[in-house]
Amino acid sequence: MNRVPILEVKDVTKVYEGKVTHRAISQLSLDVEKGEFLAIMGPSGSGKTTLLNMISTIDAPTAGEIMIEGIRPATLTKMELAHLRRRKLGFIFQDFHLLQMLTLEENIIVPLTLDHYDVDEMQKRVTALANSLGLTDLLTKRPNEISGGQAQRTAIARALIHRPSIILADEPTGNLDSHMSREVLELLSNINQTQQATIIMVTHDPIAASYCDRVLFIKDGQFFNEIYKDERRQTFFQRILNVLSLLGGGVGDLSSIRLS
Amino acid sequence: MTFRQFAYRNVIRNSRIYAAFFMASCFSVLVFFIYSMLLFHPNIDESVLGVMSLLGMVVAEIILALFSLFFLYYSMNAFLEARAKEFGVLFHLGMDERQFGRLIFLETMLIGFTSIIVGIAFGFAFTRFFFMIVREILHLDELHMYVAWEPFLLTVGVFTSAFMVIAYASIVTQKERRTIHLLRGHDEHKQRPVTVRRAVLGLSFIICSYIGMFIGVKLENLAFIIIVPLFGIVGTYYLFSDTLPYLLERFRLQKKYYWRSYSVISLSETIQTIRANVKMFFVITLVSTLTFLTIGVLASVSSYTTQYERLNPLGMVYKSTIDNPYEQQHIASLRNQLELDRLSYNLSRFTVIQQTSSYTKYEVEVFRESEINHLLFSLGYPLVTLSQGEAMFIPYSEDAISDLQNYTVRTVLKENSIPLVIDSVYPEFIFPGNFVSSNSIIISDEDFIKIEQPLIGTTFEQSAYRLYTFDVPQWMELEHIGVAIDAMVEQESANSLGYDLPFYFENAGLNYSFVLATYSLFTLIVLLVAAVFLLAAGSFVYFKMYADLERIQKHFDVLRRMGLTDGELHRLVDRHLMPQFFLPWLVALVHSTIVLISFNVLLEHLVNITIVDEVIIGFVVLITIQIFYYYLIRWRYIAHIKSN
Repeated sequence: MNRVPILEVKDVTKVYEGKVTHRAISQLSLDVEKGEFLAIMGPSGSGKTTLLNMISTIDAPTAGEIMIEGIRPATLTKMELAHLRRRKLGFIFQDFHLLQMLTLEENIIVPLTLDHYDVDEMQKRVTALANSLGLTDLLTKRPNEISGGQAQRTAIARALIHRPSIILADEPTGNLDSHMSREVLELLSNINQTQQATIIMVTHDPIAASYCDRVLFIKDGQFFNEIYKDERRQTFFQRILNVLSLLGGGVGDLSSIRLS
Repeated sequence: MTFRQFAYRNVIRNSRIYAAFFMASCFSVLVFFIYSMLLFHPNIDESVLGVMSLLGMVVAEIILALFSLFFLYYSMNAFLEARAKEFGVLFHLGMDERQFGRLIFLETMLIGFTSIIVGIAFGFAFTRFFFMIVREILHLDELHMYVAWEPFLLTVGVFTSAFMVIAYASIVTQKERRTIHLLRGHDEHKQRPVTVRRAVLGLSFIICSYIGMFIGVKLENLAFIIIVPLFGIVGTYYLFSDTLPYLLERFRLQKKYYWRSYSVISLSETIQTIRANVKMFFVITLVSTLTFLTIGVLASVSSYTTQYERLNPLGMVYKSTIDNPYEQQHIASLRNQLELDRLSYNLSRFTVIQQTSSYTKYEVEVFRESEINHLLFSLGYPLVTLSQGEAMFIPYSEDAISDLQNYTVRTVLKENSIPLVIDSVYPEFIFPGNFVSSNSIIISDEDFIKIEQPLIGTTFEQSAYRLYTFDVPQWMELEHIGVAIDAMVEQESANSLGYDLPFYFENAGLNYSFVLATYSLFTLIVLLVAAVFLLAAGSFVYFKMYADLERIQKHFDVLRRMGLTDGELHRLVDRHLMPQFFLPWLVALVHSTIVLISFNVLLEHLVNITIVDEVIIGFVVLITIQIFYYYLIRWRYIAHIKSN
């Protein structure tokens, strides 16, 4: 069966003009299908965040084309872009970015209020979501009264509440300890399986990446490698580490050692 | 790099942030200095300036100093808090508490001294210009530039001590704040919880003070009018600290309204802003109220001047007892001066006799028809025709005209048994209030001749007086006429034992020039203080914005990712900035409106003028400036948010 990708990135290049012209992404292509859980990995400065910003339509590519559910963001006005973001995309950030003065419940419904939802509908969704994420008892608390794991769960609830097509996660476990990381990752993978949610996650952490269906590696803004999940997470994790070691050391470095 | 250099560079390289703050403090130094230059001027004393303006200037000086103190302290603290992370790093690198104190002290003093020097330098440069304006206003021949040490010493002394107090207070405050929070930056501080009791108390205090104001004015009880504002002040504090947050929190429970669009974000932000800045809101409200009230007083003086001619239809009035030995000499000298100044005039002479009315049992002042007509003719007013037995009221105020319109009195002038029917009132206001009694009538010549017996128990000399009125079309040019007589009257009026001269004199033109001068000088004082205040309040908001920029940028970045459109962002910024800008003003506006309404009632009652028009104009101008200022700040604010 011919599956239509939910996100298409074709030969995208991003160049930052400035005192020093910097090519952050170069000729990168990738497709993401509906229901896929994709991890993007790469060393610092490899262009992961730039890529994510372009997918989230905050940044526009210098060349190439991005399509989200058949829509070309490049053809939209700023206003339409904002509407696209509030309906089709959900965001999870490394440091949660919960709004400090709102309670958790209010934080979760912010995307819906932006889109002028009915209050009863909002209430229904919050209750259901809080229930499934185990946040029910915390709803009236403020972000500074809860733990990091709880904060990230709230952020996930906020990213899910408007039932977006794609969820974009930028280092969602970067600020969490191993126990909380696991909790969050299992939650994401659970959402991915039960709700057929499409998730794109940028991460440094090979353990986090091992929860995904596919891992894409980029280096210096270019495609480097791609590996798919197998039966056991343990072996998948091992393969990710193998690629990372290549990525970190650099192929050239290794061969030069051999030569000398 | 020495420690001192480090402090110096901290300030210089943050100069963009300090700029608004620096400008506001420079400007307050400048205004303070200019005022002190005028206050210490060798040619200026009470007689030139008038007690009112002199007092106004001293009060303005005190308010300026106090406001600067508060403003500087608050800005300094906001700024230090924004730099908490930087200090955190320094502490990690091994800076001790004493060094921290020294750093803050050096930085504050650096800004302080620079703004004192710059402020005084500009102030000194502008003094000549300021003196020119004052000279014009006061019609002085010369107000020369002078150099004396007093104004310098006062300004430097006041502001140096202000900056020192601020430096020490900031150090102490910062020490208390700083613990583990340092590297994390400033999180929410522990806030006193909002209580229903205080919320209710705040509202009821304010309402009480409003009601009290009206009652106080009705009773014309000064003690009442002084105590009531205290309630208002306490109530205002609670309004910001408890009542408003409480009401907004209550509103927050109404999800139907609260969860509508981005009001979720803006409302919670507003509560946060109010609670974190209670003191600032409170002080800005008080100072704004004071400014508004001064404008109210200004307006009343201004409407007094515009309504002056209506209230004083005559140029000069000279009242004399029958046995006044100076009578002929004074009248001759006045006429002489008028002729020397080539001012045309029309002199009318009245003999007014007091009689007892059988109707009220009180004295009534009786004017003669032909004498009144002489004056009315020169004023161009309709003449009076009375037949025997008829009489007419002379209105003592504008309101009296309508009050006495349909009032008929049958009475007998007891001493001479002259029966009278008083059934009309003269339709114009003729004599200024303090010359004729509120019980004055015109009778026909036939009846007037019949008056032979004086008021019971007195002689003719005691019961009658003469009135000379000079109707001068160019009455505004009368300021040099009769100055000597006016001075005698003025001196005797101040006599606590009572007025003892055989004559009384009023020169509308002379008084007018005095009123006008006082008014203009007052305007100048108020305008400068209002300008300082406006600049400071604006720079404060700007400054707070700068200190908070990082958090705000992050905040809006998250929202933008979530799909906030540009239009929505602007509206959200509006809702974020507007409370900071307009809330204290709004409260101040309500406060001062209430006070001015009651003040207006009092004025209308006492001096027969109303200030509504002038106050509205003043308020509209201020609000326009404030709105303009708001859009300026908003423009910078949005630019900063988007620059991320």
